[in-house]
Amino acid sequence: MRYVALLLMAALWAGPALAGDFTVTVRGADGKPVPDAVVMIYPNGQPTKGPIKFAWPYRVAQQNIQFNPFVLVVPVGADVAFPNLDKVRHHVYSFSAGNKFEIKLYGHEENRTAKMNTAGVAAIGCNIHDQMVGFIRVVDTQYAGKTDATGAVTIQDVPAGAVVAKVWHPYLRGLKNETALQTKSVGAGPAREQVTIDLRAPAGH
Amino acid sequence: MFQRLQTKLTVLYAGLFALALSVVAVAVYVAITSNAQRTVRQEMAGSGAVFDRVWALRTQRLHDGAELLSRDFGFRAAVATHDRPTVESAIANLRQRLGLDLAFTVGVDGEVVGLDPARLNLETLWSALDAEDGAQGVFTIDNKPYQLISAPILSPTLTGWIVFAARLDEPEMLALEKLSAIRLDAQVFDQRSGHWVSADRGPVDKPLAAFVGRAMHDKLLEPVLLRGGADSLVLVKPIKALDRGGGAALVLRYPMAQAMAPYRPLMAAVLIVGLLGATLVAAASWALSRGLAKPITALDIAARRLQRGEDVTVEVTTRDEIGRLAESFNLMAAEIREREAEMIRQALHDGETGLPNRRALERAIEKRLAAVGPGEQVIIAAIGFDRFTQVRAAIGYELATELVAKLGQRIFEIAPGVLVARMTTSIICVVSDSNNLDDLLKIVEEALPALEAPIELGGEPVDVHITQGLAATTLGELDAARLIERSLIALDQARAAHRKFMAFDAAAYGDPSANLSLMSEMLEAVRKGELYLNHQPKLDLRTGAITGVEALARWNHPTRGFIRPDLFVGMAEETGHIRALTDYVLAQAIEDQARLRAAGHDVLMSVNISGRLIDDHAFAQYAIAQVAAAGARLCFEITETAVIGNPDVALSVLDRLAEADIPVSIDDYGSGLSSLAYLKQIRADELKIDKAFVTSLEAGDKDALLVKSTIDLAHSLGMKVTAEGVETREGLAALQLMGCDLAQGYHVAKPMGLEKLIAFLGEWSIELPARDDARKTA
Repeated sequence: MRYVALLLMAALWAGPALAGDFTVTVRGADGKPVPDAVVMIYPNGQPTKGPIKFAWPYRVAQQNIQFNPFVLVVPVGADVAFPNLDKVRHHVYSFSAGNKFEIKLYGHEENRTAKMNTAGVAAIGCNIHDQMVGFIRVVDTQYAGKTDATGAVTIQDVPAGAVVAKVWHPYLRGLKNETALQTKSVGAGPAREQVTIDLRAPAGH
Repeated sequence: MFQRLQTKLTVLYAGLFALALSVVAVAVYVAITSNAQRTVRQEMAGSGAVFDRVWALRTQRLHDGAELLSRDFGFRAAVATHDRPTVESAIANLRQRLGLDLAFTVGVDGEVVGLDPARLNLETLWSALDAEDGAQGVFTIDNKPYQLISAPILSPTLTGWIVFAARLDEPEMLALEKLSAIRLDAQVFDQRSGHWVSADRGPVDKPLAAFVGRAMHDKLLEPVLLRGGADSLVLVKPIKALDRGGGAALVLRYPMAQAMAPYRPLMAAVLIVGLLGATLVAAASWALSRGLAKPITALDIAARRLQRGEDVTVEVTTRDEIGRLAESFNLMAAEIREREAEMIRQALHDGETGLPNRRALERAIEKRLAAVGPGEQVIIAAIGFDRFTQVRAAIGYELATELVAKLGQRIFEIAPGVLVARMTTSIICVVSDSNNLDDLLKIVEEALPALEAPIELGGEPVDVHITQGLAATTLGELDAARLIERSLIALDQARAAHRKFMAFDAAAYGDPSANLSLMSEMLEAVRKGELYLNHQPKLDLRTGAITGVEALARWNHPTRGFIRPDLFVGMAEETGHIRALTDYVLAQAIEDQARLRAAGHDVLMSVNISGRLIDDHAFAQYAIAQVAAAGARLCFEITETAVIGNPDVALSVLDRLAEADIPVSIDDYGSGLSSLAYLKQIRADELKIDKAFVTSLEAGDKDALLVKSTIDLAHSLGMKVTAEGVETREGLAALQLMGCDLAQGYHVAKPMGLEKLIAFLGEWSIELPARDDARKTA
């Protein structure tokens, strides 16, 4: 049902607006590919109206005393699951404004969820294990994704026209750890951009 | 430098000791100083390490606190959610708990909680905190240095920093200082606007601040001795600073005076002991050298006294080398005294008789002279053995000497107060104890028989014949030598007068010193013409004519009047002026003869030639030349004794005169002990018979016989004969009868001047008695 509606919407919008894949490659100042960088594209600079759905699970597992994945991209309002795959217990929290939550000590195979209420960042940690740091990027656009190990991300079906594109990374030097992409508009068909960001060392560990 | 041995030794020893001590003191000082320095350096290095550790611990403590707080979930939650009151109360709580001076948070957005942001340079602090995870270091808050410790607040991302600050104030430093074993001064310096300052402890020590700057710049990590004011060892330890990066430094100081303090009593002890030791050594060496120098000084003084001829003995006080030296000195002095006494005895005594000698005599006279009062006389007698050589020849040398000694002894026995000295081999001199010559002469006369009593020699009595000459002098009149001389002259005078004793007769003696000046006056007289010739005519007994004259030198002295020819001629012979006199007489005779010729009288002129010139070839040559040059007719009269002295030369000179046709006449024949052998050898033309024979011609037959035989002998040798001293007509007649050729004497004529001679010759006529008699008889 939802799918039909989507299709319908796509048909509705696709008429005048042709769409294409937009691939962004992120490299560090040292030239190495940067994984876990989140690329967000706002067609016409507007957030996506209506519900947003990503193909990946909204899930941050605790595995080997680490958050997995390190960076998770979820839409606003998503319920993120925090399954504990470790044998120890964890106390996951986030003090991030708008996305504050706290999942007090819970054990193995236990699964808890937290709702991401605000677009922005939820830096998550474990009160027991200081080294456990993870980030949930709460976005308000359909066109978002994070770079893989090669530093590349392909955002599909970006409508042609004017866009505002940003790159976010938890350690990116810059206001709110964000930087804008150069691309101001995308045409029909695939588009590519490479961006170099300045990262700083993760603090405190 | 030092005249005295004692001073020299004392100064030397004390000086050496002082030097050694100074070296020791300096060595001790240097050792102590370097040791103290080393100790302090080690201590400082140790303290530095301790400070490092303490600093690290303190840092760690603060850090742990900060870390703890930064990890506190509630705190983090409060910070992350900007729950300011909660954060502030949490900070205050911890500050209290940890006793911190300041604690505050700095958000990544620059928000400060827990402290008024105006109190610090937020921008600088933020940069420092942001630049380094867990940054810590010195930071200035309110213009005062604080040690800042920060810890990041992670929730889980960095939301800010918790900062703890501890004052680096005096109590803090004192607390640090207390950790050190030695009392160090700790101070924190930090750099502000290019200068190193320490805000805490009093005013800034500028040299120290400069040094800190230098040390920081040069990264000096060792303690360094900082001089100036009070020396101190300074260790500068860099501390991390949060502001500007200029750095801060913990400066540890240790005053050397303090390091040296424990050694000060030791140094004082060394100094006091040294001074005491030096004083003791000086005193001891003074005493020692005194003991050493005293006998040497005594020896020195004694040696000087010995040199002056004093009788000295040094006291032998020790048995060491100096003692032995003193003994040797005493021995030497005694030997010198003995030798001197012996030498004096020898010097003052006659070796053969043991009687005092002439020197002793002179000393005795001088002593007497010094002792006599005014008007009193010192009288000595010269007692001479008569005919001593004969006596000695008869009894032998040894006994003759003994005879002299015994006579001396006898004189001493007769008059015990006198000094008897041997003057010559045969003369004894006696210094009388009488002061009056007239009294003494009487005494001498009385004592004469006792003196002349025979003396026993070798058991046999020997006759003693003595003559005495006495001389006296008052003080200031004569010296000892002249007095002795006078007594000897008196002895000669007594002998000449055939008297047993006689006092010196000044009138008879004349003045011998005047005789010497007579010679220079004579030469002067020759030049001035005060000397002239008198001529005594010679009568030819066959013809009655005056055929010759004898030239005789005469001298009329302008002040002394007529001077006897035998005096000045004899003096000229004795003093070597006879040649000059003879040359003059020769020249004058030639001149006079020329004048006689001019007056028409051709006479042979006889000139007396001294025996001293007859063996002189140079004179002979000169005389021959003179005679030849003037064409004079001269006869040289010589005495036969003159030939005896050097017969070979004299005879050859006579030969030369004969060759030059200068007749030679033998004068005074018969007065000497001439031998006929000589008469034979002498090539003479004339023989003059001495007047001693002629005057007594009529008295006895013996002389007449002698004269007759002499005339005959002369004639047989081819010589004419002249008789001298013819004073009577009878004598003249007798000579004429004996065949004598010529006569000379007062009966014929006295010697006369040239003018008178010319007149005399002009008037001359004589009736020769023998001729008369012959006529009568014929």
